[in-house]
Amino acid sequence: MRQPLRLRLVLRDLAAGAAFGAMAVSGQLPVWALAVFLLTLVLALCNVRLVARHARLSALLLLVTAVLLGLQLTSGAMNAVVVACSFAGLIAAQRMLSTPDGAADGQTHLTGLLMVAGGAALSGDMTYALCLIAFGVLASLSLALGVVEAAVPDGEPVPVRAVLRPLSGGVAFAVAGAVAFFVLFPRLNWAMVGPRSAPGLGAASSAGFSDTVRLGGAGTIKSNPRVVLRATLTPDPGRDALDAYWVGRTYDTFDGQEWTNVAGAQRTERQITLHPATDTLLHQRVELLPAYGGRTLISLETPSRLGNAVAHTPTGTRSSTVQLHGGSEVRFTLTATSYTYEAYSLPPDAKAGTHLNLLQAESDQLLALPEHLDPRVAQLAARVLAGEKEPLAAARKLTAWLQRDYAYTLELAGNSEDPLADFLFVRKAGHCEHFATALTVLLRSQGFSARLATGFFGGARLDGGYIVRAGDAHAWTHVLVPGRGFVTVDATPPSHRTSQASALLEQVLALYEAVEARWRNSVVDYSFRDQFELASALVRPPRRPAQASNTLSSRLPPARAWLTALGVAFIVWRVSRFLARRPRRAPRMEATRLLDRVDAQLARFRVPRFEDESLEELTTRFAREGHPLALALVPLTRRYLEARFGGRALREGEAEHLLNTLRRALEAEAARRAPKAAEQAGPTARAS
Amino acid sequence: MERLAAQLGRAVQGKPSEVQRVVTCVVAGGHLLLEDMPGVGKTTLAEALARACALSFSRIQFTADLLPADILGAQVFHAATATFSFRPGPLFRQLVLADELNRAPPRTQSALLEGMAQGQVSLDGETHPLPSPFTVVATQNPVDFSGTYPLPDSQLDRFLVRLSLGHPAPDVEARLLTTRGAASPLASVEAVTGPEELASLRAFAAEVKLDTAVAEYVVRLARATREHGDLERGASTRAVLALGSAARAQALWEGRDFVTPGDVRAMLVPCWAHRVLLRSAVQGVSARDEAAHLVEELSRKVAAPR
Repeated sequence: MRQPLRLRLVLRDLAAGAAFGAMAVSGQLPVWALAVFLLTLVLALCNVRLVARHARLSALLLLVTAVLLGLQLTSGAMNAVVVACSFAGLIAAQRMLSTPDGAADGQTHLTGLLMVAGGAALSGDMTYALCLIAFGVLASLSLALGVVEAAVPDGEPVPVRAVLRPLSGGVAFAVAGAVAFFVLFPRLNWAMVGPRSAPGLGAASSAGFSDTVRLGGAGTIKSNPRVVLRATLTPDPGRDALDAYWVGRTYDTFDGQEWTNVAGAQRTERQITLHPATDTLLHQRVELLPAYGGRTLISLETPSRLGNAVAHTPTGTRSSTVQLHGGSEVRFTLTATSYTYEAYSLPPDAKAGTHLNLLQAESDQLLALPEHLDPRVAQLAARVLAGEKEPLAAARKLTAWLQRDYAYTLELAGNSEDPLADFLFVRKAGHCEHFATALTVLLRSQGFSARLATGFFGGARLDGGYIVRAGDAHAWTHVLVPGRGFVTVDATPPSHRTSQASALLEQVLALYEAVEARWRNSVVDYSFRDQFELASALVRPPRRPAQASNTLSSRLPPARAWLTALGVAFIVWRVSRFLARRPRRAPRMEATRLLDRVDAQLARFRVPRFEDESLEELTTRFAREGHPLALALVPLTRRYLEARFGGRALREGEAEHLLNTLRRALEAEAARRAPKAAEQAGPTARAS
Repeated sequence: MERLAAQLGRAVQGKPSEVQRVVTCVVAGGHLLLEDMPGVGKTTLAEALARACALSFSRIQFTADLLPADILGAQVFHAATATFSFRPGPLFRQLVLADELNRAPPRTQSALLEGMAQGQVSLDGETHPLPSPFTVVATQNPVDFSGTYPLPDSQLDRFLVRLSLGHPAPDVEARLLTTRGAASPLASVEAVTGPEELASLRAFAAEVKLDTAVAEYVVRLARATREHGDLERGASTRAVLALGSAARAQALWEGRDFVTPGDVRAMLVPCWAHRVLLRSAVQGVSARDEAAHLVEELSRKVAAPR
């Protein structure tokens, strides 16, 4: 059997990799599956077919894995779709590493299709779509090359270059056709199946807004610059950096490890009022983006009214009710990929009044301390406060002290019995949750009512609105000041409150966010209604005034991003032109390989030869001169020329035979020349 | 072909490679331009060719006052029947030796060249087909230019191969001197083939396989001449085709049914040296040598397919 075309196998394996990637971008596959497949892909690309010799053993292993996965499924530890996807990945891995024959190729492509379908059930992300297209292109090329390879008779080279060009054109045409189909064909939505993650790279935000606040844990908090929130404020503050507190929820109960709330879910309404309104309210129109991943409404401190909520799901856009939870948290009742809502907040300098909107149980918790609080905490607080009785002044004093004596770090301390004592007395370094918790507990230990608030801090200007990033997640303290209500005090050093990611990365991600927003609006959420609107827009001139289109275009990346893209496209075009102009390497044919070896042999035996004298010319010259090598060279040259230009391919082993004959002739010639050379060298040696 | 070459070799002694080129040119179905000093055997070669192939032969000595009618023929009035009838001129032969072509005025030259290109002659609104095979062997004196009309480049292009015989080697010349007296060398040339066989040989040559790699090589060579800095004009498409058919005939000569890069290189200079136009103002022999040298140099620069 002939050796399969290497390029085809590489394309096949890359296609399988793209299909696996389509599942992997959902971030739901187990880590071991990722590791196994990545290792497989690397091995397969290096042409190491591990399983080829142990097909049965690997099949057995696969069976065992299937049983294990089944157990996981029945025990409820894993989701059915995730199990199916992981198993499909394993089958693909096994097929990729086995002997590359026709059956294995077909099965690899089939599992690739399965994996793509699995990826569709897991996420409808833009990166998924890219992987899907990559799979389609690579698998098509590989399959087509397979067909060409089968059609070419044995021993002939496969005309890869000649085939790839029309093939690429065909694939590009097919992709364009698929896009047209997508736009024009009535939409059927089957995205309701399976657990959809919030789209985006890595569903669980590493540094973001979480449901509970738990101190401790190990590792480093990754600064995540993905945009989670976009808001338009009226009246517009007009500043570049808002530096405002966006509150999500507050916590009143600390058990030494974790902050929770005593109160649970309360009323569900279209609109929830947290605070009686004053005459000047700050209106926010907020969009929670998929990277946010939660259901809690975020608004500027101090929220007054939240409502008019709309949930965007893959199946469409619906208005949602909101539910009040303990800790003044307002949640969406629907689960969706993104949300929009409106919020009204009291201006930062407004007197909040005495209305607290708290349940009795919550008010009771404002002075509660964990059961096993280190006695040193209260002593420390007393020492720092030195008899200060005014709550706000006490909080400021403690804040100044914390900011002076404690360092900010994103390194987590690891699990400990008492993370607070660990922060206060041992490490003397921590992140915002440590600072906020310390301030709250220190205040409570001295009889001041306080609670922990979490949300985001910051807000960067973008296209007339403000954006907040996942890395802007923050925790701070609310101190209850009699007559003023809760006042925000932030113990975290000011320079560490906002996202720590680099500016460049933020810019790149902002671009990505903008593109992804486009993708969501015009692809994932593209519905039958959109199709209808597109059709009617084509028939009739758009009725919308220019203003409406302005708000739409504000989501587009700025002009310099387009310029950069244009520049990149230009460079790609230039490079491709340059590559196309480079002299094409002629296909290496069998006859050419024979010629290379003949040249190498002639050079090894130092056969005298003019510069760039071809074998044909050399043979003609030798034959004319009656050179002894001509006898061996003439038939060889003739066969080479026939095979290369005459269309009469070399037979199996013929090249070897011809080369052996030539080598014997060369050796005989060398032996004949050697004594002559010795004779010539002899006298001079004696003379000297 | 070998028999043919052997017969020609009898007539023109000591020039095996030139004789071979002549045979190749005839087999390829092309016209031949011999450019040489007087008295080195050009005419002998042409006559020997006609004899060996058993072709009808005519020799036209081109002079400054030669008119188209002199070579094409004319309508002649027959008094007896009171009609005009066409009397074919000396061009209506299978092999025509156009001696000193550049001495005739352009009108006459172009009449000949039209016949060479079309295989027919138009006269007074009537077309008269030329015999088949039809081959022209033209000669030119490259040294003596006085009173000549140099052939335009477009017409030089119509000759498949340009050759110069050069002086024979001293020993051959000495042998000529000793044996020539006995009999004309032409007398010893025997007809070894006929027009039919020549036609089938040409058909064979046309069948010779030309691999795409070799074709690309020829095209690369042509592009190299077109992009060369010292050349005013490179090889035309007709030149590319001519080289192809010459290389095919060369392959047939070598006993192969496919063309190799070696065949192309062998026919490159005779086929192309007269088709390229130098940028410099040199004329005559030195221009010819210069062009041959440039083309030769290009053939070394352009990598042959492996």
